[in-house]
Amino acid sequence: MTVSLAIPSKGRLNEKAIAALAGAGIGVATAENARSYRTVVSGAPGLEVLLLSASEIARELRDGAIDFGITGEDLVRETIAEPDSAVEIVARLGFGHADVVVAVPDAWVDVETMEDLSDVAGSYRARHGRRLRIATKYWRLTQSFFTRLHGIQSYRIVESLGATEGAPAAGSADIIVDITSTGSTLTANHLKILTDGVILKSEACLVRSKTVERDAEDAALMAELAARFG
Amino acid sequence: MSDTAPAPFQTALGALFEARGARRVHAPIIQPADPYLDTAGEALRRRIFLTRGEAGEHLCLRPDFTIPVCLGHVGAGEALPRRYSYCGLVFRQRPSGPGEFFQAGIEDLGEANRATADARALADALAGLAACGVDPAGLDIVLGDQGLFEAFLKALGLPDGWQRRLVRTFGHDGLLDAALNALATGGAGTLERLDPELADLARRREEGALTRTIRTRMEEAGLPPHAGRSPGEVAVRLIEKLAVAEARLDDAPLSLLRQFLAIDCPLGEAGDRLRGLAESADLDLGRAAVFFETRNLALRAAGVDLSSVRYRAAFGRPIDYYTGLVFEARQKGSDETLAGGGRYDRLLTMLGAAAPIPAVGFALWLDRIGAATGQAGEKS
Repeated sequence: MTVSLAIPSKGRLNEKAIAALAGAGIGVATAENARSYRTVVSGAPGLEVLLLSASEIARELRDGAIDFGITGEDLVRETIAEPDSAVEIVARLGFGHADVVVAVPDAWVDVETMEDLSDVAGSYRARHGRRLRIATKYWRLTQSFFTRLHGIQSYRIVESLGATEGAPAAGSADIIVDITSTGSTLTANHLKILTDGVILKSEACLVRSKTVERDAEDAALMAELAARFG
Repeated sequence: MSDTAPAPFQTALGALFEARGARRVHAPIIQPADPYLDTAGEALRRRIFLTRGEAGEHLCLRPDFTIPVCLGHVGAGEALPRRYSYCGLVFRQRPSGPGEFFQAGIEDLGEANRATADARALADALAGLAACGVDPAGLDIVLGDQGLFEAFLKALGLPDGWQRRLVRTFGHDGLLDAALNALATGGAGTLERLDPELADLARRREEGALTRTIRTRMEEAGLPPHAGRSPGEVAVRLIEKLAVAEARLDDAPLSLLRQFLAIDCPLGEAGDRLRGLAESADLDLGRAAVFFETRNLALRAAGVDLSSVRYRAAFGRPIDYYTGLVFEARQKGSDETLAGGGRYDRLLTMLGAAAPIPAVGFALWLDRIGAATGQAGEKS
């Protein structure tokens, strides 16, 4: 019997995830060779801890290839089409705080709310011959917030994999949906967050995959591990 | 051929569509996705089967026929008016149920007499259902008209910003209701973060000074000039926004609007209901009301029993290329549309037509019709 748990392989998220596990009595030692993705686990017999990238963790949870993962809620909700049926958030871990937000150029002094944006988007094509463009790597979150929550249909998503906040100045998009923790990067780029433009308040979470049915023994071990974070 | 509809439909509908003057066209199953995402919106992204070609272009499995038929028309530069018919598989991702199903329908392009074309679309859709063996007595048919809603807003004299907001939510009952409530309570709350200096300029309608201030801000932000919203556009909208937010709307127009939206009656009685409401409030619905009546006459002439169709004033589709008529037919007590259609006068120019082309069409959901009539609905 083995239960697998993946944590981010690098950076502060890695350090904080290891600390969070230590708080639950699970010791994780990474191999001497820093390039290795294997770990030695103590305090939790039957648990295997893997090192993966944060976005890969969300995908593996969706596919049921791992049982638990520590990753950002933003990635979980962006990667998984039906997050509430595919995974369960066991615990919010209190680090990796970041908001997914809608930000527009601060020179758009007439736009403060999603309602304003809806109005601008609605007449954008008539004025400019194209749809309002939104740069983001969160197309699923964007689409669900804009369309399902605010009924905005008329926009195009420009997929952006990095430096999204520079897209308006670069002319590749009009506005952005991106993650921010302090807002300082947005301010530096002359962007402002809409007053009702917070799509998700994200933080690192311990997430359990519900995709694969486990036998009784594994299920008991998983329940025991989850309970340590209660 | 694996993508031909069940034989009874093929023959019955093929004969009907031909008799109605529609020329059968075909469309490749693999379509460029951009025309769909550009016109119907990004909401479609999660419902279509999307992939990328080697060159990075977005491709999808044909999610409907309207766009390929219209693109084909624009590309070929055919003479107008013209009616096209189609029958084949469409592909959509759904949480449950198969991802592919058959649709057949007609797209009617370029008919300048909109009343006639509208009537023909609904009459042909109902004839199509009958040809497939659907009992007309068992149908719920509902009709809406965005043109009438827009005319009503205009007649009420609502500020432009509010008219736009309400039109955007038309067809989306929850959002429309939320917008009405927001209008009833006023929208001044959204001005809290506005720089008092700018607010003052906007209040005094100093468009030139506002534009200069906004231009400076855009330059400071390094926004490329001429790439998006212009300083003047932002200034004009700010002036309008302040005027709207600080004006109080009295209850009368909102109450009239709610009465209008509550109209839900047999189509044959709708004219009287609308006239009664308009006269009681001394509103002039102008050409939209005349058009509504003209279309009803055309529907009668096309053999549609107006007492069998329900007019619901709040019924519409929140997609911005729909401009007027919308209709749906389903079996009584069912929530599955068997036939749906509407007028989309804005679509052809979005797809590259040089001049606006009036257009109306409908689609029949053959698998559902098959299930409803007990015939094989799946691939034969």
